[in-house]
Amino acid sequence: MAPLLDISAVAKRFGAVTALSDGALRVEAGEIHALLGANGSGKSTLCKIIAGTVARDSGRVHLDGAEVALSDPRSAERLGIGLFYQELSLVPQLTVADNIFLGDERTGRGGFLSGRRKREDAATLLARVAAVAGPGLTPDALVGRLSADQRQLVEILKVLSRRHRLIIFDEATAALDRRQVEVFFEILRKLRADGVSIIFISHRMDEIFAIADRITVLRNGATAATFVTSETNRTEVVHAMVGETAIRERVEHAKPASAGKPLVTLKNATSRRLHDVTLTLGEGEILGLGGLQGQGQSTLLQGLFGALPFARGTIEIDGAPHAIRSPATAIRHGFAYVSGDRGRDAALHGRSIFENLAPAAIVRERRFVFWPRQLRPRFEAAVKALNTRYASLEAPIGSLSGGNQQKVFIARWLATGSRVLLLDDPAKGIDLAAKADFFALIRGLAAEGVGIIFYASEDAELLSLCDRILVFNSGRISAELSGPTLTSFHLTHAAYGEAA
Amino acid sequence: MNPALRFLSRRVWLVTLAALIVLVIVNWILQPNLMTPNVIKSNLTVFLPVALAAIGQTYVILAGDIDLSVGTTAALVNVVTVTVITALGADLDAVLVGMAAGVGVGIACGLFNGVLVALLRFQAIVTTFATGILFGALALLVMPTAGGSVPAIYWRSYSGALLGIPVIYWIYAAALLVVALIAARPFIKHVAAVGGHRAAAFQTGLRTARVRIGAYVLCGLFSAFAALCLTGETASGDPLLGRTLALSSILAVVVGGTALAGGKGSAFGSVLGALVIGMIGNVVFFAKPPFEYQTLIQGLITLAALAGGVFIARRQDSRGRGLA
Repeated sequence: MAPLLDISAVAKRFGAVTALSDGALRVEAGEIHALLGANGSGKSTLCKIIAGTVARDSGRVHLDGAEVALSDPRSAERLGIGLFYQELSLVPQLTVADNIFLGDERTGRGGFLSGRRKREDAATLLARVAAVAGPGLTPDALVGRLSADQRQLVEILKVLSRRHRLIIFDEATAALDRRQVEVFFEILRKLRADGVSIIFISHRMDEIFAIADRITVLRNGATAATFVTSETNRTEVVHAMVGETAIRERVEHAKPASAGKPLVTLKNATSRRLHDVTLTLGEGEILGLGGLQGQGQSTLLQGLFGALPFARGTIEIDGAPHAIRSPATAIRHGFAYVSGDRGRDAALHGRSIFENLAPAAIVRERRFVFWPRQLRPRFEAAVKALNTRYASLEAPIGSLSGGNQQKVFIARWLATGSRVLLLDDPAKGIDLAAKADFFALIRGLAAEGVGIIFYASEDAELLSLCDRILVFNSGRISAELSGPTLTSFHLTHAAYGEAA
Repeated sequence: MNPALRFLSRRVWLVTLAALIVLVIVNWILQPNLMTPNVIKSNLTVFLPVALAAIGQTYVILAGDIDLSVGTTAALVNVVTVTVITALGADLDAVLVGMAAGVGVGIACGLFNGVLVALLRFQAIVTTFATGILFGALALLVMPTAGGSVPAIYWRSYSGALLGIPVIYWIYAAALLVVALIAARPFIKHVAAVGGHRAAAFQTGLRTARVRIGAYVLCGLFSAFAALCLTGETASGDPLLGRTLALSSILAVVVGGTALAGGKGSAFGSVLGALVIGMIGNVVFFAKPPFEYQTLIQGLITLAALAGGVFIARRQDSRGRGLA
């Protein structure tokens, strides 16, 4: 008998970046199948292709033996495929019941909404999680007023209400506590007994071993291996995730960790997505932030930069405490922030390179009036130092490649003499050659004494660049890697919550 | 949040209703004959076009967009209706065909806006400002100067009565019935979802573009109704008709408790909002402040009416903010 879902040789590129080169996956009817892979391995791209939110470039997807197109979420929905989105498919302004049945409204005679059927059906669904729902989770509650775990339960119920044949649960347990996870697993087992297939993604390895029948591992955009859960163990799975070359692929620069004197010390930083983060950054140190995506790394960087100020915690710069509550303050203390999301966080679109360079200097030096001619030599020196290819400072920022744009945004800060560089996944969407160039530049800056905190969604970037890596899990530092533990094996192990 | 505030925050229109009652009482004190049938009727006649335009505007704003072109849409509908009626000989058939043509024009304007904004992804506020200029220019082409007239049967029926009840009350009743019917369809949930969190609506499988175009078409339709009522009042064609309709309709929607950001609100509240705005004008008129202060006072009262609803609505949002 043909498997329910059979995917082979699926590929997807986003611009210069290959997200998926050879994705393959077979899911049988009535099976719970875990999908595992390090950051950037392509598992979320594969899921989005199955759910129709991303269109594949090539490859075959068979459902019940027949090829399917999956051009948009609607067509996937019609084929009986449902995807659990982390919070992303709930509308905060609508009630729990309205969200659960959105697009599949409970109607009565003449296609008019039936409030009675809606409430009854919602109550039936909510009863399945009633024991762990917590206060206030009723059909008429507004989703915007629920806590994170309650929203996650609503999202689960929304997927369940549609009677799919195949459901993808992408990090469905991330916000749930142990009891809630147990209830959720009960629901999954019942679905499996009813013949529904489930693709399960989690960053908690013990959950995967507790619930999955089989495990498929993705590595660098290709399917690396498939295991039967009962016949394998964690070490084998993690080895499949990191591959044979689980050694540190880095240009060695002999420098002991924490060489320089402390530049920035952060104590007990806490905010909505961070819990009690304490760290020290030394002069000339490249400190990496690792772990799965969205575990608080960006929140930490934006907190240090004052864009998302911490609710609690102290920041010491050169041993003296400072309050940083806005980017302007951070800039004046010598902080610089470069985001991988250039379009949203950095670029002044349609403006010249010069205009894109100027803001940092203006803020840092509290200038109200300035003469472009005075600033120009400094900017030219800064851009040139980064080996940036450009026609003139008057050329529009859009005329540069992604890698060169990113250099301009670094130059923006170099021209002001920044001492702490916060890099928020800066190499996202940059091609390989530009990336190497960019990393050489960062290493050069560290050699000059600049302290660098570097978050990357790709583990290889972290391993090739950092002196030390702090691994994040659910807003906490779960492990610190340095020296001999700076390997992709240890990094992956820590990210997935070793014996969590 | 205390329970009373919570109750109100789910029904912001109650605040609007309270404001309306206060204004009615103040107006009654200033104008003792307010509660006579004729004065009530003439007031409601004046408020009707804004109320209708505000109903249409509600769906667009609920879907997270905005329509600045409803005023010139109404002007275009007015001149087309008058021109068609005149051309066909000004009898009952001509009136019906002319009104149908006007409604068709309103729907076409809404469809045009919707396609530009939802399919071609133009920015709503700028686009409808521009199409508003375009519709106004078309109205001038159809009828370069104000003039023409509609036959007596048109304006007499509009100001007359049916089964002993004034026609404009029937129009209010019909409008509220349509509002109730739309509020009972799945469509309204889709509109709120698209306006509340567009990415979520898309990933849920809703056809977001279709929903937004639907909202614009409804807005064009109700602008046409507003224009037909204005035509009944003025009994003539005027390419510059309804110039303040766009902003007053938006104001009525917001006073009626619909969030400008989309996702939350009701057309019923917008009707109340339109009445509140009209009553503010009345109160200021009858309080007889020095002439040069009239606009100032009108502005301050309007701001106060806005603030009440906005504060209560915001209390509710403050907890859900992180999600968006």
